[in-house]
Amino acid sequence: MKKSLATIGLLAVAALALSGCTDSAADPAAEPSDSGAPEEVTKIRVAALPIAETGALWAAIDEGIFADHGLEVEVVPAQGGAQAIPALLSGDIQFAIGQPFGPIRADLQDLGVAIIGDYADSRAEGDDVNAVVALGDSGIASPKDLSGKKVSVNSLGAAGDLTIRAAIDADGGDSSTVEFIEVAFPDVKAQLDSGTIDAGWAPDPFRGMIVGEGGVSVVAPYQATIPGLSVLTNITTQDLIDNDPDLVAAYSAAMTEALDFASANEDAVYAAIAEGLDIPLEAAQGITLPTFTFEMDVDSIKTLADLAVKYEYIEKLPDFDRLIQQQ
Amino acid sequence: MTTATSSRRLSGHRRRQRIGALRRVLLGALGVVVFLAVWQLLSTLRILNPEQLPSATDTFAQLGVLLRDLEFWRNIGRTMTAWAIGLVIAAILGTALGATIGMVPVLRRATHTVVEFLRPIPSVALIPLAILVYGLQLPAALIIIVYASFWQVFVQVLYGVADIDTVARDTARSFGLTRASQLRNLVLPTALPYLMTGLRLAAAVALILAVTAEMTIGNPGLGRQLTVASGIGNITTVYAIVIVTGVLGLLINIGFRAIERRTLSWHQSVRGDDAS
Repeated sequence: MKKSLATIGLLAVAALALSGCTDSAADPAAEPSDSGAPEEVTKIRVAALPIAETGALWAAIDEGIFADHGLEVEVVPAQGGAQAIPALLSGDIQFAIGQPFGPIRADLQDLGVAIIGDYADSRAEGDDVNAVVALGDSGIASPKDLSGKKVSVNSLGAAGDLTIRAAIDADGGDSSTVEFIEVAFPDVKAQLDSGTIDAGWAPDPFRGMIVGEGGVSVVAPYQATIPGLSVLTNITTQDLIDNDPDLVAAYSAAMTEALDFASANEDAVYAAIAEGLDIPLEAAQGITLPTFTFEMDVDSIKTLADLAVKYEYIEKLPDFDRLIQQQ
Repeated sequence: MTTATSSRRLSGHRRRQRIGALRRVLLGALGVVVFLAVWQLLSTLRILNPEQLPSATDTFAQLGVLLRDLEFWRNIGRTMTAWAIGLVIAAILGTALGATIGMVPVLRRATHTVVEFLRPIPSVALIPLAILVYGLQLPAALIIIVYASFWQVFVQVLYGVADIDTVARDTARSFGLTRASQLRNLVLPTALPYLMTGLRLAAAVALILAVTAEMTIGNPGLGRQLTVASGIGNITTVYAIVIVTGVLGLLINIGFRAIERRTLSWHQSVRGDDAS
């Protein structure tokens, strides 16, 4: 008796719960495959972190740009170079969207990884896509004030801390006295509040939240050091370039179109960010978007590599002809 | 007369048992209530920053939202699938190798050093290797899960097989029991409690590693959902998923304890439990 009552109760609860059921993975763009002849579709897996910049890729997929080039894209949320490059080498994923520093290091180890095009650049002027932020009462106003302080970046030994060092030294400070600490972007605010760090490097929306609550934007290290430096690039393997040039060509053509679409349709990108990151549209619209382009500015990568050698992040320059193969 | 006293003793025993069970349930519930109350107070009184530790009510509200999302249930399914496949592989490998090596003293001595070297290697250290071989896919996660849970079963079975009472073994030999009969009547009863303990430990470890693998490798499941939520600063979702993984661990433990009780009902360790 008791048991059956409990069962009925449980069923009732389940029925109630299920009636309000949603499905966040349901495909919103219902099969955009009505365009012309039934072409052969190639499935590809592309590594890209769930961050605001990926909004351009999501928007382009929803728009059917990749489908038009016969590509069915599965976005895999791989974490930076540590996961994406081994996964590229294993052949599990065909392309990755990541910071240029990963491929630079991979090239120095002859891993056969190449940049086939740009993805997103920092802003050469105005608000940049990321900045070093500090609390309003920290007394840190300019890059040189960071000397002797604890500054966070999301991953050590990459473009973040490198350009911050250069910005501090250019401002007359001493970057060798700065202690860099690894803190994930969403945690920067908490670490600033608790005093573990004095300043932290963060992109939007986190930069915006901290500045909005009385924090100061100390410096945009990319803009201050290498204006318009590439933030994210399209990466693949030499193996794929050699053995499946058609796929690389199709992907490059689709990506060129996708990034052009993204820069011309910011609203679509904002909508894709809101959906992809599950945040309100107003919050997405507050995000400073990078410049989306497939055309690689090789000089900015060379300047970055020069800096990396100067600050002894890497021992020698990579082989640029092998590393950057603009498609 | 004897039957009357024994039945009275039995009913007294049962009543005591029932009161004991009731008390256990009440104490358990009290523990949960106190835990939730402390959590709520920490956040409401701002002893801990609510941006870092959302209140219990906010977290459970978010959990309610998640529980109505089909994709969340699919993620639970994916995590539990990885867990189950990993555990089954680890159990089969661990039992087979543990029993074989355990029963042959030469093998046991020969493998001892290698086992003690391999066992403490944290299986997460193998993640880069697993990705290099299998990419960001389920098999890469399975390597991590199997490696960690294998040792739990293997070592238990190894000791279980070695634990056979020498007198019992000599008796079996002098009675001329065949190898098969020895295995069934001597080795299995001795090693089974060890195997069950190994399986229970392995089940818990496999769940931990299933979630860890999803967080670091990025194969779909609860772990990946947690990392994605954390990456965009959605902290209530993170805590809600943590609660779900905790509940899964609890259910797994309860399930394996029940299996242990049933399969070992004849064994002293379980019978002794009843008497206390």
